[in-house]
Amino acid sequence: MSNKLTRYEKIEFLGEGQFATVYKARDVETDNIVAVKKIKMGSRQEAQDGINRTALREIKLLQELHHRNVIGLLDVFGHMSNVSLVFDFMDTDLEVIIKDNTIILTTGNIKAYIIQTLQGLDYLHRNWVLHRDLKPNNLLVNSNGVLKIGDFGLAKLYGSPNRINTHQVVTRWYRCPELLFGAKLYSTGVDMWAVGCILAELLLRVPLFPGESDLDQLTKIFAVFGNPTEENWPGLKSLSDYVEFKPFTPIPLKNIFTAAGDDLLDVLEGLLVLNPLKRFECSKCLAMPFFSNKPAPTPGSKLPLPQNIRKTEVERPTLKRKLLDAVEGGSLSKRLFF
Amino acid sequence: MKDVIDVMELQRERNKRITPVDYRNLDFNGGFTPARFIFECGMKLQGQPLTLATAAILMHKFFKEVDQSKYDCFLIAASSLYLAGKVKDDPLKIRDIINVAHNTLHRGSSPLEIGDEYWSMRDAIVQAELLIMRVLKFEVSITHPHKYMLHYLRSMESWLGKEQWSQVPVARTSAAFLQDFHHDPSILDYQPQHVAVACISLALQCYGVRLPLIEDKDDETWYSVFVKDLQKDKHWEIMEKIMDTYNKEPETA
Repeated sequence: MSNKLTRYEKIEFLGEGQFATVYKARDVETDNIVAVKKIKMGSRQEAQDGINRTALREIKLLQELHHRNVIGLLDVFGHMSNVSLVFDFMDTDLEVIIKDNTIILTTGNIKAYIIQTLQGLDYLHRNWVLHRDLKPNNLLVNSNGVLKIGDFGLAKLYGSPNRINTHQVVTRWYRCPELLFGAKLYSTGVDMWAVGCILAELLLRVPLFPGESDLDQLTKIFAVFGNPTEENWPGLKSLSDYVEFKPFTPIPLKNIFTAAGDDLLDVLEGLLVLNPLKRFECSKCLAMPFFSNKPAPTPGSKLPLPQNIRKTEVERPTLKRKLLDAVEGGSLSKRLFF
Repeated sequence: MKDVIDVMELQRERNKRITPVDYRNLDFNGGFTPARFIFECGMKLQGQPLTLATAAILMHKFFKEVDQSKYDCFLIAASSLYLAGKVKDDPLKIRDIINVAHNTLHRGSSPLEIGDEYWSMRDAIVQAELLIMRVLKFEVSITHPHKYMLHYLRSMESWLGKEQWSQVPVARTSAAFLQDFHHDPSILDYQPQHVAVACISLALQCYGVRLPLIEDKDDETWYSVFVKDLQKDKHWEIMEKIMDTYNKEPETA
């Protein structure tokens, strides 16, 4: 046990959440940079309830999930009354990238992010896991441009026909209409709607539906897609929190996403379908023309990174980079010229 | 009135005969006692069958790793139930677990007052939970035989034909064998698929059911359509272990 404590050398403090503190650390055994998430057990209230459910979900599910686009849980260890989870280190996330005005998100860039998201999510769904909290903040990106789905604190196995789930999942702006109407039996559609919202946000650079309350959220959704009816969404009115909204006239997506091509609009229209049973699955999305049409998805190494990460790289070029620069006449200076 | 059986009387007699076990007088019995405690408490707490199976497996795995005499098996059992509830998203409240566990150990006693004894029990359960996690190296996901059994039985329903299937309680009995086998730590020694097959085999034998279109030859078994890697002697070994579990049950006077 003691070797686990010394195995991960703390480099810097990264952030603090409701349940955990996250550090950047070096794994002295492999020399890899990792993120160590230390679950808080400090306060009396938490100590009384034992191991945190959120942490247990992450441990339980991530131990069995291994995919390039899903965050890797490398190790778990306990010390005193604490539990620490060791993850792949990720430099940034889509929220930071979307908000960084110096970054230009080309169609190729957006395609690269969404393909990786869908591939990771397809793997989760094939393994009967719902993420239930997809948002730009939980799509982590490393300096090689690899996107990994992170934060499995709300994730759950699905597929049990009689399992009642809570509808209080997914951050509101990315929450689908059936959850907002109180559905307790739901499926992969909840994640697919969130991907649609994220794709829209990559285009608009602001959230598509920034609702201020659950009702406002539905109002904003219907203001774009029009009201759902029993015809296009059978069973709608039997949802427990169903309420009638004032009638809206749908707006064509073309008018909102003026710069987007038709093939991309088709993907949005496949994901943002009010009726959850008509919403596209990952594999169906990935087979759509958008993903094989030009422009090709940007290769990972060419994907943009936020300023603070770029800077540190320029300040401290690695040995490998220095060697490459010497050979090729400086790949770094090329970047500085434009 | 001699020829009329008084059903009510029979039932009263049967109820009279069952005296609840006093766990405090039972020894560890290879893990049988804490498993039995888990199932009794778990049923009172209305936990899902898979939650109780998880708790039993966690408990057996824990005692496989440690010196059993150094831990209170009822504390570990209660804590396994609490952890299993979290693992299976079938939340069992810690307060309920404490009350049920306390009352099951001290039958007829009044519920525990919120006080020092309650708080130290709660603390002990929480500490033991973390200990179990660490001893099991945080590997708390369990592949149960149940899901395999369900699919084998579903296929057999049409193999055997609806009529015979409805006459003989093969499914019920198989499920009962499976749950009872969780009392014995040897369940950890076998693959979940093999355990599922052995439970069904035992149920088929109990009722003398023979599957149609198959002959019992040395090189062919009824279950070879479901599992390819179960040898005949291994199959027998598991069935014997299941039957053996019932011999470990303590006598209730």
